Amino acid sequence: MSQFLRRLRYLLNRRRFDQELAADLEFHREMAGGIRLGNTLRLREEARDAWGWTWIDRLGQDLRYAARKLRQSPSFTITAVLMLALGIGVNVATFGFFNLMFLRPLPVRNPGTLLHFWRQAPQNLADNFPYSEVAFFAEYSKNLSAVLAASPAKLKIGSEEKLLNASFVTPNYFSELGAAPAVGRLLDPQQNEAPLIVLSYKFWQSHFAADPSIPGKMIHLNNKPAIIIGVAGKEFSGLGLGGPDLWASIAQQIYFTSGGEVQGVQMWGRLRQGLTPSVAEAELASLAARLRQQNPKDIWENETLPSQPGGYAASIRPEMYPVFAIFAALGLLILGASCATLGSLLLARGVSREREISIRISIGAGRARLMRQLFTESVVLAMLGAAAGLILGCLAVRGLIAWTDSPAWLNPAPDWRVIAFALGLGFGAAILFGLTPAWQFARQKVRATKVRQVLVGAQVASSCVLLIVAGLLVRAVNHALTTTPGFDYDHVIAIDPGLHDPTPAQAAEYFAVLMRRLSLVPGVESISMASNPPLGNRWSVSKTNVNGRPVNIHFNNIDPKFFQTMDISLLRGRNLQPGDTNQIVISESLARIEWPSADPIGKTFSKDIVVGVSANARLVSPEDSDAVEVYHLAQQDLLPSMVVLVKVSGSAEGIAPLLTAAAKAVDPKLFPEIQLLKSSYSQKVDLAEYASLTVGLLGLIAMLLACLGIVGVVAYAVAQRTKEIGIRMALGAKPTDVLSIVLRQFATPVIAGLLVGICGAIALSQVLRGQLYGISNLDPIAYLVSTGVFAVAAAVAALFPARRALRVDPMLALRYE
Amino acid sequence: MPKKEMPPGALVLLILRVLRSGALHGYAIAQRIHVLSSEVLHVEEGSLYPALQKILLKGWVTAEWGISETNRKVRFYRLTPEGLKQLEAELDGYDRVNEAIQSVLRTA
Repeated sequence: MSQFLRRLRYLLNRRRFDQELAADLEFHREMAGGIRLGNTLRLREEARDAWGWTWIDRLGQDLRYAARKLRQSPSFTITAVLMLALGIGVNVATFGFFNLMFLRPLPVRNPGTLLHFWRQAPQNLADNFPYSEVAFFAEYSKNLSAVLAASPAKLKIGSEEKLLNASFVTPNYFSELGAAPAVGRLLDPQQNEAPLIVLSYKFWQSHFAADPSIPGKMIHLNNKPAIIIGVAGKEFSGLGLGGPDLWASIAQQIYFTSGGEVQGVQMWGRLRQGLTPSVAEAELASLAARLRQQNPKDIWENETLPSQPGGYAASIRPEMYPVFAIFAALGLLILGASCATLGSLLLARGVSREREISIRISIGAGRARLMRQLFTESVVLAMLGAAAGLILGCLAVRGLIAWTDSPAWLNPAPDWRVIAFALGLGFGAAILFGLTPAWQFARQKVRATKVRQVLVGAQVASSCVLLIVAGLLVRAVNHALTTTPGFDYDHVIAIDPGLHDPTPAQAAEYFAVLMRRLSLVPGVESISMASNPPLGNRWSVSKTNVNGRPVNIHFNNIDPKFFQTMDISLLRGRNLQPGDTNQIVISESLARIEWPSADPIGKTFSKDIVVGVSANARLVSPEDSDAVEVYHLAQQDLLPSMVVLVKVSGSAEGIAPLLTAAAKAVDPKLFPEIQLLKSSYSQKVDLAEYASLTVGLLGLIAMLLACLGIVGVVAYAVAQRTKEIGIRMALGAKPTDVLSIVLRQFATPVIAGLLVGICGAIALSQVLRGQLYGISNLDPIAYLVSTGVFAVAAAVAALFPARRALRVDPMLALRYE
Repeated sequence: MPKKEMPPGALVLLILRVLRSGALHGYAIAQRIHVLSSEVLHVEEGSLYPALQKILLKGWVTAEWGISETNRKVRFYRLTPEGLKQLEAELDGYDRVNEAIQSVLRTA
């Protein structure tokens, strides 16, 4: 340890120590009478070596030299930095988002000790709780210092049409998260008797024109009076991305929604100091078992309560891995393409530096030292590129955050993780693009074509993957826009009544009235019900393999008029009829996968009997070509959660207000949500459109980079072989022969790169299977067009400099040298 | 005057040993070793100063300014308590190895 301190002291007083050593040596020499005249400088350096700091001096030399060299050729430096900035910037932008969502803690007090709980039982999984369970945990848990809960609800404000998002929270929500009010006060943990409201900063601004005298005002929510007590701070994030418009105490939820017991509550806990999450999980599981004895209806058998870190905008779930993988792969492909281009640029530059290198080798520079110096140059370039990429990527994140109207607390400024990521990428890139050329220079084998060919191949491969993926996405969007997903979304409107936990009998009564009223609206053709409305946000899906094929089975509970309403034809067998309990209708593709050659009617599918086969209709996820459907007849007990589907003739937009009015008239206490399937569908397709646009842009950038690289290497090949071409032309070679001399050496890498790229795209697109709207991930058109476009671009890029070879004047070429 | 190559590690031992009787400057260390070895061992400055730097790093000696016999300001190296401990340990080890070698040479 003290040795380390001495070493450090030496580093800090380097200059003085060196002078002392020099004085010692001088004195020694004087005394010895100057007999041996060795190299004093060298001796000093060797003596200094003992302290282990020589590398700093060398690094300093290398850095100064590198900076000088890069300043000498500004056009090269700028090109290289721009290329790297592009490659690194794309990755920084994606990582920046990932960081904001999953890695950066929320701006609340002690985010590290917050846990988000969900419920699990052998047969069940849910991320929400009945409030009674949360309250029980809050009362009895010893390992959690606080239990927080939030339950979302849609409320009507005043007489406005649009519903607002409210969040009913435990009154300790604000104090526990360390929130400060912008105006007035926040909820008081000790008191939750009155209907008090806290507004979000954004809602306060948009709805109340940031009126500072708002505390104390009365508003009506769902026609119930409530008092505004304050406004949460602008920076208050709550515990997730989708911030509500206002908050109220969870004890008041029944007052506003006039429903029964509060269900669907999200739960967080704050872990006591020094405990691990597993301790709290075990405690809650035993508490749940205790509660089950009192309340067996709400608590599952063998219920466990797994947790995740709660202090983040979103939590990572295993099903997100493929999405992360595909983003990472696309970003790295771009970076790979820019590194490969830069590598060939460096190689070309190496030719002009051959003289310098050989002089340095001949005056005694060691190979290792030389390589280190050249690599330092690459690292300096890479760090410049990383800095530029960091700026570029952060601008992209900032732009997207501004564009998507994200909450104010989402801070796009890069934190240490993003900066470290950019620098790490820069260093990795330096290894990729710098090490091979450095090695080649140092061995003085710059002219070896093999490395250049490999680099061209790598460029071709990576840009090819991007182009093919972009091609697939474009095809998918095109397909989605020009074909139907198997059902009529243009003329169907979904009405979610938002019932407040009624008994099945009450629900049946309600639906009977609702349907009668709806059927009186002119233009209504057919009315039906389903538990999972098409294109909605409810679904029940089971992902399995049937006969070796991955299938996602979507279950739905419907009434007999569903197929008619959704315009889905029945291909075989019969429709579901009242009284059916374990009879099902399955979709055509499921029938074909399950019984490729037999008649599916009458067969058993997991305890149910198939009575009919319907045409394919990917109701919930039209983008997923592995989706198949199983329909049950909706039984009485499901009625409280059903959604009504109405098919209309003519324009859906025109009739929607009439339907809204009719639905509202049934029960003034309810506030039904009306959704046009048409707009849900176009939202879905818009998403795919953005994706194809982004990937297409990346693909074009990569193609441009690859073409630049090809131009560079072919131009170099022409320059290098001018003499040979001259001789051949003098001997009567035809223009095609000349071209083939120059281009032949690149044919193999380009073709190999294309093949590797196609294989890469096949592998990568496997992940995309579920997003292509029925287009196969091996769609030949996408592959052919993308590789075709690339081949043409590459050919043009190669011919452009190759023409120079044709203009070689044999006489001039021969006289050269 | 025959020049003998110094066995590795021996130089550090010799430096520490000659410093035991008091602080010396670099040239004096080389001279002392030269004289005491009856002019057999010759310490080159190219090995003396790197070795001294290493010993400084280990903390076995410290350097301080003093006045040389020729009246010049020069650095004297002084053994530290750790240096003394190190010297004794190395001497002990050296003696045992030396005896062992000697006994082999005598009897074999």
